[in-house]
Amino acid sequence: MYVHSLNFDQFSSRFMKITNTQRVKSIRSHLMGILLLTFISLSPSYHSQGEAIFKAKCATCHAVFQNGTGPKLYGAVQRWEDAGEGELIYEWVRNNAALRASGNSKRAAEIFAEYKGSVMTVFADLTDEQISSVFEWVDSQDPNAASGGGNQANTENGASEEEEGGLPWTWIILGIMFVVIIMAVSGVRRQLKIATKESGIETDSLTYIEEFKTWAWKYRLYVGIVSLVLVLTLFVGLFKILYTINVMENYQPSQPIAFPHDVHAGINGIDCKYCHNSVTKSKSAGIPTVNVCMNCHKKINGEGKEFQGEIEKIYTAAGWDPTLGPSGGYKDPEKGNTSPIVWNKVHNLPDHVYFNHSQHVVVGGLDCKQCHGDMTKMNETAKVQPHEALNKIQENIDSKIEFTKPTLTMGWCIECHSQSGINIAGTDNAYYTEIHNRLKKNDYSLLNSYNDDGKVTVKELGGWECSKCHY
Amino acid sequence: MANTKKYWKGIDELNETKSFQESKESEFSQSNSIESFLADDQLSESSTGRRDFLKFLGFSVAAATVAACEAPVIKAVPYVMKPENVTPGMPTWYASTYYDGSSYASILVKTREARPIFIKGNKHFGITKGSVTPSIIASVLGVYDSERIKNPLKGGKKSTWTAVDNEISKAIKNANKVALISNTIISPSIHGAISELKSAVKGEFEHIQYDPISYSAIRSANESNFGKSFIPSYDFSKAKTIVGVNADFLSTWLMPTEFAAQYGETRNPDNKDGMSKHFQFEAVMSVTGSNADYRGMTKPSEEENVLKYILAGVKGMSSTVKLSSNLKKTADLAVKSLLENGNESLVVCGTNNTGLQQLVNEINNQNNANGTTIILENELHLFQSEEAKLLECVKGISTGTYDVVLFYNSNPAYSLPKDDLKKALKGKKVKVTVSLNSHADETTTLCTYNCPDHHALESWADFHPKSNHYALAQPTIRPLHNTAAALESFLVWSGKKVRGGKNSTVAYDNIKETFSSLTTADFNMVMHNSCVKLEQPMLEDSISFNSADYAPMPNIGKGTEVITYQKTAIGNGNHANNPWLHELPDPITKVTWDNYITMNPVEMTKAGYKTTYDQENGLSMAKITVNGVSKTLPVYPLPGQAPGTVGVALGYGRGGNGEKIGKSAYQTAEYGGYEVSKNGKPKAIGANVFPMLSTENDEFTYSNSGKVVKVDGEYIIAATQIHHTVMGRHSIVRETTKEIFDNKGKEAYNPAHTLQTLDDNLNHVEKPVSEFDIWDEHPVENVGHRWGMSIDLSSCIGCSNCLVACQSENNVPVVGKDEVRRGREMHWLRIDRYFASDEEAAVGTKKNKDSFSYDQAEIAALNPKVVHMPMMCQHCNHAPCETVCPVAATTHSNEGLNQMTYNRCIGTRYCANNCPYKVRRFNWFNYPSYKKFTEINPAQDDLGRMVLNPDVTVRSRGVMEKCSFCVQRIQATKLKSKIDKEPVADGEFSTACADVCPTNAIVVGDWNDVNSKIRKSSEDIRSYQALEEVGIKPNVWYKVKVRNEQNNLLSKLQVEKKSHHGSNNKHH
Repeated sequence: MYVHSLNFDQFSSRFMKITNTQRVKSIRSHLMGILLLTFISLSPSYHSQGEAIFKAKCATCHAVFQNGTGPKLYGAVQRWEDAGEGELIYEWVRNNAALRASGNSKRAAEIFAEYKGSVMTVFADLTDEQISSVFEWVDSQDPNAASGGGNQANTENGASEEEEGGLPWTWIILGIMFVVIIMAVSGVRRQLKIATKESGIETDSLTYIEEFKTWAWKYRLYVGIVSLVLVLTLFVGLFKILYTINVMENYQPSQPIAFPHDVHAGINGIDCKYCHNSVTKSKSAGIPTVNVCMNCHKKINGEGKEFQGEIEKIYTAAGWDPTLGPSGGYKDPEKGNTSPIVWNKVHNLPDHVYFNHSQHVVVGGLDCKQCHGDMTKMNETAKVQPHEALNKIQENIDSKIEFTKPTLTMGWCIECHSQSGINIAGTDNAYYTEIHNRLKKNDYSLLNSYNDDGKVTVKELGGWECSKCHY
Repeated sequence: MANTKKYWKGIDELNETKSFQESKESEFSQSNSIESFLADDQLSESSTGRRDFLKFLGFSVAAATVAACEAPVIKAVPYVMKPENVTPGMPTWYASTYYDGSSYASILVKTREARPIFIKGNKHFGITKGSVTPSIIASVLGVYDSERIKNPLKGGKKSTWTAVDNEISKAIKNANKVALISNTIISPSIHGAISELKSAVKGEFEHIQYDPISYSAIRSANESNFGKSFIPSYDFSKAKTIVGVNADFLSTWLMPTEFAAQYGETRNPDNKDGMSKHFQFEAVMSVTGSNADYRGMTKPSEEENVLKYILAGVKGMSSTVKLSSNLKKTADLAVKSLLENGNESLVVCGTNNTGLQQLVNEINNQNNANGTTIILENELHLFQSEEAKLLECVKGISTGTYDVVLFYNSNPAYSLPKDDLKKALKGKKVKVTVSLNSHADETTTLCTYNCPDHHALESWADFHPKSNHYALAQPTIRPLHNTAAALESFLVWSGKKVRGGKNSTVAYDNIKETFSSLTTADFNMVMHNSCVKLEQPMLEDSISFNSADYAPMPNIGKGTEVITYQKTAIGNGNHANNPWLHELPDPITKVTWDNYITMNPVEMTKAGYKTTYDQENGLSMAKITVNGVSKTLPVYPLPGQAPGTVGVALGYGRGGNGEKIGKSAYQTAEYGGYEVSKNGKPKAIGANVFPMLSTENDEFTYSNSGKVVKVDGEYIIAATQIHHTVMGRHSIVRETTKEIFDNKGKEAYNPAHTLQTLDDNLNHVEKPVSEFDIWDEHPVENVGHRWGMSIDLSSCIGCSNCLVACQSENNVPVVGKDEVRRGREMHWLRIDRYFASDEEAAVGTKKNKDSFSYDQAEIAALNPKVVHMPMMCQHCNHAPCETVCPVAATTHSNEGLNQMTYNRCIGTRYCANNCPYKVRRFNWFNYPSYKKFTEINPAQDDLGRMVLNPDVTVRSRGVMEKCSFCVQRIQATKLKSKIDKEPVADGEFSTACADVCPTNAIVVGDWNDVNSKIRKSSEDIRSYQALEEVGIKPNVWYKVKVRNEQNNLLSKLQVEKKSHHGSNNKHH
C-alpha cells in the first residue's frame, strides 16, 4: 500500500501543482492517517448516547477541554458540585435563563457574568439521564490524549518516510547494474569478434541486427511468445498509468488558513454538518461562510502566536475588531472591511457530472466519513482519502462496501451504487413505498430478481444509468 | 435554383488572357510540380528535414498531452456573511412583475447564488395567469449585457452621479420649459416622482407619453362612443365567437400575455360548453391568423368594408358595401356566428384608426358584448401614447422652446415616423438633454447626459396596469454597474431625496409609501404574491355606449399596400440586441436573424421573384418605397399574404449608425467580427421601417400604400424550415373538424396504424402497431417512473415560448445566422409549422396513386390552414438512435428517457442520421470560445456566462445533444419527494417548455402514475404518436388538431371504417 501511494505521489507531483514541501507533508500526513486509522480500527469503537448528544447539541459552543463560546465541559459536574449546586446543573442545561431568573443559583449568575451575557440555547427536552450521559462521556475522556498523540505520530512518520523513500532507488541501482552487465557482456563479445578478425579467420561479417534477425528466426516461437507477453504487459502497464492521471486521491493544496479539521471535528467534536450546513439541503456541502466561523471565534482567539495568527485571518475576513466595544464588534461591512477567504478547492467535480450531497446524506443516510474518511483525525487541510482508507471506515464495513477503485472516480461511484442497498419495503419513506408497490403490483418477478441477493441495490433502481449523474 | 450571377476566378479569366487559356486546360497548376518539389536537394539538406519535423511534431503532441493532464488549482470563495435565503447549489425563486413599456406579465424569477437565470410566468397570482411572451423569457439575458452603460455619462464620457445630478438639477430648476418623453408609465410611484419633478421646475413642465406601437385610436374611439378616453379589459375566455381584424392578439396586440391563456381556454374541443369559433381578417399571416378557424385575406383598404359588412349583418340589414367573394363568404360565416352567440362574442381590430375602432365599438355594442367579453370598468392603463403632443414637442425641440428634455425608457430617435427628432437634437437648440436609457442607443447618443437606469431585474418597481390591479417588482440581483433607479433620479433632481449609492433604499421607501396610500394589504405578503387586487374604483357615471359620427376611415392610396407589423420575437425593437430572440425562428416564416418583405408566392411567381431558397440560394431582393422612404430587403414567400399587399416587420435596423446597443444587434461576418458598412460601422440587422409610418390625423398609421420594385441580387436568409407543407406525411400531423370530432368515432379522424399478422389459426389479421415490438420491451411500463409528455395540437398556438424557455433552461448555445443557414441551429425544441396544400385538404387520408402528385402537395395553398407542431426528442422506448451508437453514449433509462451522455459521445452522428424525427443536434463548434460566436453567444463573456444554468452541462464541440426532458428537473423533483418522504405528486415535475406554455398545451408527468394528467391525456381519444407506424414507441403523444370549421371535403374523407380488430385500439 505504501509503495502505491508513494508512486502516486511522485506521479501527482509532476502533474499537479504541488510544491516539494507540500508533497513531503502529504506523504507524511498520509502515512499518519493510515497509522491512526489502523489504530482506530483496532480499538473498540465507542458509541455512547452521551457522545451523540454532545456532538449534536453541545459541541457547537462547548469543547471538552477548552473554554469556547461556552465553558469547557470537562469537570463541569465537579465544578457545580464544588459550588454546592450539583443538582441544579440539569435545570441549567435545560433552561439556563429560567434558572438564572429564579435566583436560586449563584453559579448560574457567575457563569453568565463570566461569559459576558452569552445566553445558552434552551434544551427543554433533555432528560436528566441524557444530561448525565453527556457529562459521563465528557469526563471519561483523557485530557492527556488530546495533546500527546499528534507529536508521536509525527516522529514515527518521519522515520518511515525515509525508509520507504529508499525503495525506488534500489530498483534504479538494480536497473543500472543490469544495463552495465549487458554492456560489459556485449563489449566482451565485440572484443572477441575483433580478435577473431585480426587473427585472420574468415567469418560472415554480420551486423548486430542481421545477427539478431537470424537468431530471432531460429527461435521464432519463443521470441513470438515473449514479445506478445511483453507487449501485453506494456499495454496493461500503460493503461494502469493512464487511469491514475488526474485521479485526485491525496490531492492536498495549501490553504490560506491552516484550518485543522482534527481540532474542530475531532477534539472539539463539532458535527461536520454544523459548518458544512448546506449538505442536507443542497447539492453542495458548502464551504463554511465566515459568519459560521465567527459563531465560535468571537470568543476563541487562540492560545499561542501561531494559532492567534491564523484566527486573526478570520477576523480580517469578517471585518471583526476584538477591541470594539466590551466584547468586540464588526466594523462597518459597507466600507469594504470584509474580504472573503479564497480557499483552494480540494474536491473538483468535472462539469459533466452532477452530484448531490443531500441525496446521499439525507436520503441515502450516509455519514460524511464514508466518502471523505475520518476528518476528525486529519490535522492538515482537507484531502480526498485513498479508497483503502475508506474501506476501513466502520460504516462501510457494516454495509459491506469494498472499494477497489480510486476515490472520486466514476468506478468508485458505481462500485458503491452496485453494492449498497435501499430499503424500499419496510420504510417510512412514502416515495420508496410507492416504488415498491408499483413493483409488487406490476412486476413481481422483477422485484424478486432484485431481491435475490437480499437487497435492492441502488443500481437495480437505476443508479447506474447515465442520466442520473450526467446531464 | 441556379445562381444567375457569374463569378470569375480572377482578373485573368475576366480578360481571357493567353496564359489563363493555357492553364485552364490542365487540371492542376503546373508551376511547381510535386516531383520537382520532392527532388529539391536543398530542402532535404535544410536544418529541419521532413523526418525531423515529424519527430518534433510527435514530441510536441506528446508533450501537449502530458501538459494537459495537469489539474489547475481552482479557487472557492464562500460568502463572508451568508444571506439567509440563499443556499449555495439551490435555486431561489422570486415573484416579480415584468413591464417594458409594451408587454406586461406577472413573473417568477429563478436565481442561483443570487444570479437570475430563468424567467417564467406566475400561474398563481396576477392578471396574466402564468402567460409570458418569448421576449419576457429572454429578457433575463439583458441584465448580463456587456454593452449596458455602466456609469453616468456626460457628453459620452464617464462622469459621476454627484456631478451629473448637480448639473441636471440646476438646469431643471432654472428652466423655462422642460419636457419628459417617456413610454407609457404605469407606475404610480414614478408618476408621483414626476409630479415632484414638475413642481421643482420654475417654468413649464410637460410629460409626454409615447409608444412606438400606438393604440391611441382605441382611446379616441372610446372617447367619442363612451365619453371617456380609455382602453377596456377584454376577456377572450368568455367569447364563443372571436373576430379579429388585423389584430395579432395572441402574440403582439395589446396584452397577449392575458389573451393567449384566455383564448387557450376556449379552444379545447373537449370543453362541455363548446369550442370557440375564430375568424381572422388580416393581410400578413400572423400567429393569431394561423390559429383562426376561418381566415380572410384582407387588404388594409378592405378592413373598413369588412367591418361595415359585419356591422350591417349583426344589425340584420343587408349591406351595400362590396366585398370580394372569398371575403364575403368568410364575413357571412362570421356574421352568422356572431348572431348565434350574441353577447358571448368579441370583435377586435388592431388598426390604429379611430374610424375603424368606432365601427368595432358599434358591432360589439350591437352584440351586447360590453359587460361579458369587454369589461369597461376595468381599464387598462398601458398604451397612453399621445402622438399629437409628441409631434408638437419635436417641433419645439427643433425651434428651441425647451431648455431641458429628458428621455426615459423611450427611443423616439429610432421609432418616430420621420427623422425630425434626430435632426432637432443634432441642431442642439436644447441646452440640456438627458437620457435614462440603459444603452447608448439612437436617442441616447444624441443627448448630453446619460443617467442609466437599473435593469428591470435589478430594481424595485410598482405597476398599476389595470384599475383593480396593483403589482410590485423586486430586485433579484444587486445592481451590477454604477447605475441608479430612474425613480430615484427623478426624486433627486426634484430635490426631494439624496442619492443612496449602491445600497440605496430611496426607490424602495418611495414605493412602500405609494403602496400604503393605495392599499391596506400587508406589504410583505403582496411582495410574496407580487400583486394585489385593488377595490374597483366606483365610476362616477355608469359608462354607456353612444353612437357618434365616424372619424375619417383609413385612406390608403393606390399601389401596393404595405403593412408594417411586429414580429413575435423582436416586437417594436426594444429587444433587438437579444441573441435568443434573433435566433428564435419566426412562428410563421421560420426565418431567423432578419427582416424581409412578405409577399404571396402566387404573386411572386407572376412578378418573377424566386419562391424557393435554401442554404446556398438566396431570395430575390426588392426595393420598397413608402412615404418617400426606400428600403431594399429580400422578399419572402408567405402563403396567406393578401394579394396586393406586402408586409415588413418593425423593430429591425437598430444601431446602424455606430450606436452601441448590444453585441448581438449587428450582422456578423463569416469568421467572427461584424459585417461593416461603407461608413465603417457595423451593419444593422435588417432595415428600420418606422420611417415608413404616416401620421394621418395625428395617429400613427401602420399600413400605407407604396411601391415594390424587384432589384438585382439575391440575399441568403437563414430559416430553420425551408419546406412549407407536411408533404403528404399524414402520420405526423392529424387534424379534423369539430363536427367530425363530435359526431364520428376515433376511427374516422385518428385511426390506429395497423399491421397484418397471423393469428393462432394462421388467419391474416390486422393488429395495431402498438402491439408489435421490434425488440425486447424496456422494463419501464408500470415499474418505477416513466416520464411522458403530451402536446395538444388544438391548444398549441405556436407562440414559441417553449423554444426560448428551453434555450434558457438547457444552456442551448446561440449559433448565429450563418450556422442556422447551414441547418446547424442547436435548439432542442423546434416548432414545425405546416401550411396545408390544396392537394392534401384531407390530412389523414390515403390518396389515389394515379392522380396524386407529391409536387402539388409541396405547394402551400393560397390562403392555407396552419398547424404548429412542437417537435423535440420523442424518447422512444425502441429508440433507433440507441442501437446505432458505437460507444453506447445514448442509452435508455428505466424511466423511459432516452439518455444522452456527452462525455461518452465521440460524434459519429449515426444517431442523428437514424432519428426519424430529426431532433438530434450536433455540436459543431466550441460555441463558448470560438471567435465566430464572440458577438452572438452570451456565454463568451464573463457577464453573459452568469446566465447559464449551473445544473446543466455546457456541451463541448463534437458531441450530440438533444432534449433531455429537462432531466435535471426530473432528478430535482425526485430528490425533493425523497427528502419529503412523499411520492412524486402529479404536476410537481414540469419541463421548461410546459412551464411557460400559456395554453397548457404541453402536459408532462409520470405516466406510471395511473391518475396522472399525462396518463389520461395519452389515453385520450385524440391522442396519437408521430410516425407511430415505425414502431419505435415514443413517450411523447400528440393530440389531433380540431378546427371549429365546416370542411365538407374532410368530412367526406374522414369516415369510420369497419374495424378488423374489434375495439382493440387502446394505446400503450
